[in-house]
Amino acid sequence: MQFFGFHLMPYPYLPQRHVDSRDSTWVTLSNGHFDPRRGHELYQRYLRELVFYDEAGFDGICVNEHHQTAYGLMPSPNVVAGLLVPQTTGKIAILGNAIPLRDHPLRVAEEVAMLDVISGGRIISGFVRGIGSEYHTFSMDPTQSRERFHEAHDLIVKAWTQPGPFEWYGRHYKLRYVNPWPRPLQQPHPPIWSPSQGSIETVDWAARHRYTYLQTYSDIATVRRAFTGFREAAERYGYTASPAQLGWSVPVYVAGTDAQARRAAAAHLGFLFNTLLRMPKDVFFPPGYLTPASAARVMGAKRGLGTSTMDPAELMDRGYAVAGSPETVRQQITAYQKDLGFGTFSGIFQFGTVSHEEFTRSVTLFAENVMPALRPLAGGQPAVPAAGAPGA
Amino acid sequence: MTSTEPGRTAASHQERDVPVRGSRVRVLHAGSGPPLLYLHSAGDPGLWLPVLAELATRYTVYRPDHPGFNASEDRPEIGSVHDLAFFYLDLLDELGLDQLVLIGSSLGGWLAADLATIEPRRVSKLVLAGAAGLRADGTVPDVFQLSPVELAELTYHTSGARSAAVAEAERVEQDAERFGQYLRNRSATAHLGWNPYLHDPALPHRLHRIAAPALIMWGAHDRLLPAGCARRWAELLPSAQLTIIEDAGHHPLAEQPDAALEALWPFLRKER
Repeated sequence: MQFFGFHLMPYPYLPQRHVDSRDSTWVTLSNGHFDPRRGHELYQRYLRELVFYDEAGFDGICVNEHHQTAYGLMPSPNVVAGLLVPQTTGKIAILGNAIPLRDHPLRVAEEVAMLDVISGGRIISGFVRGIGSEYHTFSMDPTQSRERFHEAHDLIVKAWTQPGPFEWYGRHYKLRYVNPWPRPLQQPHPPIWSPSQGSIETVDWAARHRYTYLQTYSDIATVRRAFTGFREAAERYGYTASPAQLGWSVPVYVAGTDAQARRAAAAHLGFLFNTLLRMPKDVFFPPGYLTPASAARVMGAKRGLGTSTMDPAELMDRGYAVAGSPETVRQQITAYQKDLGFGTFSGIFQFGTVSHEEFTRSVTLFAENVMPALRPLAGGQPAVPAAGAPGA
Repeated sequence: MTSTEPGRTAASHQERDVPVRGSRVRVLHAGSGPPLLYLHSAGDPGLWLPVLAELATRYTVYRPDHPGFNASEDRPEIGSVHDLAFFYLDLLDELGLDQLVLIGSSLGGWLAADLATIEPRRVSKLVLAGAAGLRADGTVPDVFQLSPVELAELTYHTSGARSAAVAEAERVEQDAERFGQYLRNRSATAHLGWNPYLHDPALPHRLHRIAAPALIMWGAHDRLLPAGCARRWAELLPSAQLTIIEDAGHHPLAEQPDAALEALWPFLRKER
């Protein structure tokens, strides 16, 4: 099994009256609440924490893209990845660039290729649509999101793999000259990952392209359904999915004892799920963002991620998060792995209001007492090119 | 839906599917006399409004569902209200309608104005009720952030109309089929009016082409589009009069049909 450390870069200093309210933490929460001085300290600390994953022996680190929110301070994951390249030796997974939000997908093709060449081929390129609120953020027509995603993806991959210049004449992008310099180092292109909460369309799309599918923010039943759907889709497309293609991304908190871990994690999970992820349903799922079938189900549901209050203990019990002593965490992930068959594990050790001390303790306990025992699962670690070896 | 009762034709309507270049448009229609086309608002679930029944006593009233809304099929190539206006010219040809009275509410008002700029001579009278289409600044509510209940609450003014609309929105949310239709209408609206927000910056530069007398009708308590928009319409249209309907919100034709008709009849009867 391969291990990644994910960092959300949350902004924890929100006024109590916002925490206690039902107001959205996305799109409309005033950036007057962002203190740049504290922001500077946070970024320094968060970058150290990302490097710490690398030093602790994780195979890679994960960064992501979100906009106009205290949930995370990474509107540009490529900037953060660029800062990390000279400070790390493992992989850097950008999960992902929200390509439909870009006016020009070639900018993503260029930036990721730059990072890949500079890092010696250590970049994993995730592509996402961006969550629904981000279509409010950029006043971008959400009904076109899926089409733009597919066209932007096709354009970027072609730009990486077919020598230019060539013309692209699509519905959303019309370019006379596609010919980006540099081209990526990894051939035919950097590995592409598809993070999702389990929409049938995304699962199918990732399986069709033989990408790595990464399940985020879900209970175990949903993870199981998505992975089963992925394996079945892979068979339909004429191959058997490898364990490494199934990724599970989940908040993790390790402490000396189960009681300590669950108590501390509960507070952080409460802040993550009930404050940082909070937004109205019509902001989370703008018109046309979901397919009609999904929209009817999601918009009709009484409960949902970010749109209703969730009980932290229940979140841990249902597998939305893993918290406990090293022994418990080892047992839980082993049991989940045997059940679900994933070969890629992405632990979110920094979430909610986790302090630097908690983070380093949790990561250290995991790296020293959990990871070694889990390594042999899923057929061991998949072969990866050596870092810094051009052409590998 | 037809009525054969003598003297009651005003209250009933018929329904037909009109093929337009390969897709189906559901059209409600009633009455006899010169043609009148009503272009519905974004939130209209396919209603035959009482005000239309009254108008059908003197006009042949047509009330289509826009493509992508209610019982009409999608037209994926339509990406703007301007595209939609061209589609409506095809529908009018299909219906064999030449000169007509054009009434539009909210989104339908925007569409009516756009259509009238393309073929001004086709429109004998133009009525815009709470019409979208001109820019309101960023202080107006963003309808795309509102839940069905919040939207119902903001659309109407009188407590009776508001509570009825809220109760209806709650019923729609509980009914899978109607909720699915609500979401489809909302998606179609978003595609037409997400950005720029429910207006066309180019429209003011074309409105001078509209030759027909225009009635701008606005609810005195419109909380979705401010009265400033009504004044702007009146300034931009060459031959416009402005009527404010008391005790009405964003949809005066639905909320105060009697007051609306009091303004409509003299305007429609007047020689141009």
